[in-house]
Amino acid sequence: MPNEVLALEKVNLRVDEGELVAIVGGNGAGKTTLLKHMNGLLKPVTGTVRVKGKPTTESSVAELSKQIGLVFQNSDHQLFSESVKEEVAFGLRNFGFPPSEVEERVARALNAFGLGQMSDRAPLTLSGGEKKRLCIALVTAWDPIVLALDEPTVGQDHLNKVRLLELVRRLIRDKRTVLIVSHDLEFLWPLQPRTVVMSGGRIVADGPAASIFTNFELLESSGLRQPQLARLAVALESPSPFRDVDEAVAWLREKNGPWSSGSQTAFGKG
Amino acid sequence: MAKAIYEGLKFRYKTTVIHRLDPRVKMLLSIVLFALALLGFNFYQEIITFVLVAVPATLAKSLKRLMRVVALSITFGVFVVAINLLAGGTVVESIVLAVRFLEIVASTSLFFVTTSPDELEYVLRWFRMPRDFVFAFATSIRFVPVLLMDLTQIIDAQKSRGLELDRGGPIKRIRNLVPVLIPLIVNSLVRSGELAEAMESRGYGAVKKPTSMDVLRLKINDWAALSLIIPGGALLIWLYIYVI
Repeated sequence: MPNEVLALEKVNLRVDEGELVAIVGGNGAGKTTLLKHMNGLLKPVTGTVRVKGKPTTESSVAELSKQIGLVFQNSDHQLFSESVKEEVAFGLRNFGFPPSEVEERVARALNAFGLGQMSDRAPLTLSGGEKKRLCIALVTAWDPIVLALDEPTVGQDHLNKVRLLELVRRLIRDKRTVLIVSHDLEFLWPLQPRTVVMSGGRIVADGPAASIFTNFELLESSGLRQPQLARLAVALESPSPFRDVDEAVAWLREKNGPWSSGSQTAFGKG
Repeated sequence: MAKAIYEGLKFRYKTTVIHRLDPRVKMLLSIVLFALALLGFNFYQEIITFVLVAVPATLAKSLKRLMRVVALSITFGVFVVAINLLAGGTVVESIVLAVRFLEIVASTSLFFVTTSPDELEYVLRWFRMPRDFVFAFATSIRFVPVLLMDLTQIIDAQKSRGLELDRGGPIKRIRNLVPVLIPLIVNSLVRSGELAEAMESRGYGAVKKPTSMDVLRLKINDWAALSLIIPGGALLIWLYIYVI
């Protein structure tokens, strides 16, 4: 039809268990569309999307969502219950967990995300960061095999981003498969995920973050900006990427010898 | 279904002779067609009214869309037939009533399909409606696509939490709507508050009689259309009542 656009084209992607995959790209690149194909909210017109080998066209959204837990960008689109604990219990009841297990899973999920003290509060009264944590908690409560986060850092302040980073790290330690759709490369850089770059509905690159994030031309053409630490690593010709500022400082100290405590730099005392 | 009806009724900019008409003329045309649809009591009148709606719709290159809206309204038409039969009406009467209902839908749709929200605002202002009411009305129309987008995202979010909207009996299905309607209403209220603050910050309400960038003025094509609509409409209404 004349008004229809091809949102995804020639996409070939395989995600294995326990992987951390970041799907990055500018606005309209097709990232969220790709994510919605994974839990069956969108079905492919041509080609096949398989979850554990089974085409998504053969399962309902509810069946697929139990395996692929999707956390949406806007927390306010998901929260409706009278209390935080009821909010978490909603999904568990939909998926048919017995009442005793619902209670146990709610408590576990809330404690894991630092929301145990707020279980009786109304979700709509929580702060932006708390709402985001609740949205992740309510999905992890039913233990999906894949946790997919759509633009998790949108509207989050620095402190909440640091908390989110810790959450993702914990999920990876727990051997969860995590997919993060984002254009916030500064957030993704410390995680060093396998990175899939999308542009115009196609996958234009797929590889380790260290090689993708240091490719200035690739990121620029996809509407993305290199993370500062990646730029620093390239500028200093470091053999390996700096995950954080401390790593960069340690490398510089090793290269240039110890700095005197009173030395001045352009940014203040070194 | 609501989304499909909205898509059918949504204004799309076109440069047809109907789209270029003054919105007041388009409104008059729709009112005349609406009146004819209401006055139709037999098949001849219904056929004439149908042709009269189809002609401007074709000129506006919107006949297909209008027919889609009519097709979506057929369920309600069937409902009208059933109610009328239950109330003791004959089959012919019931069908004429349903066709009349569909023609009313088509004639009002013609106006919305060919008139932009801005033009609608000008018409309401021309009728000397209170400014706040006109602004609220025009804004609510402009925000329909935003609300539908919100609705789609909320439904997607709740389906991803295992909610199955089409499952269960009627009571269960109504209860299933709660997780969708609460976020939709809350988001709409938040957005309306933000919009009010943004408008006030841009000077809304600063003066009692603000000036307007565009003023409605009838052009030659509008006068030509009026010279057809007014006598033609009056003649047809007279014929519908006293002759056919």
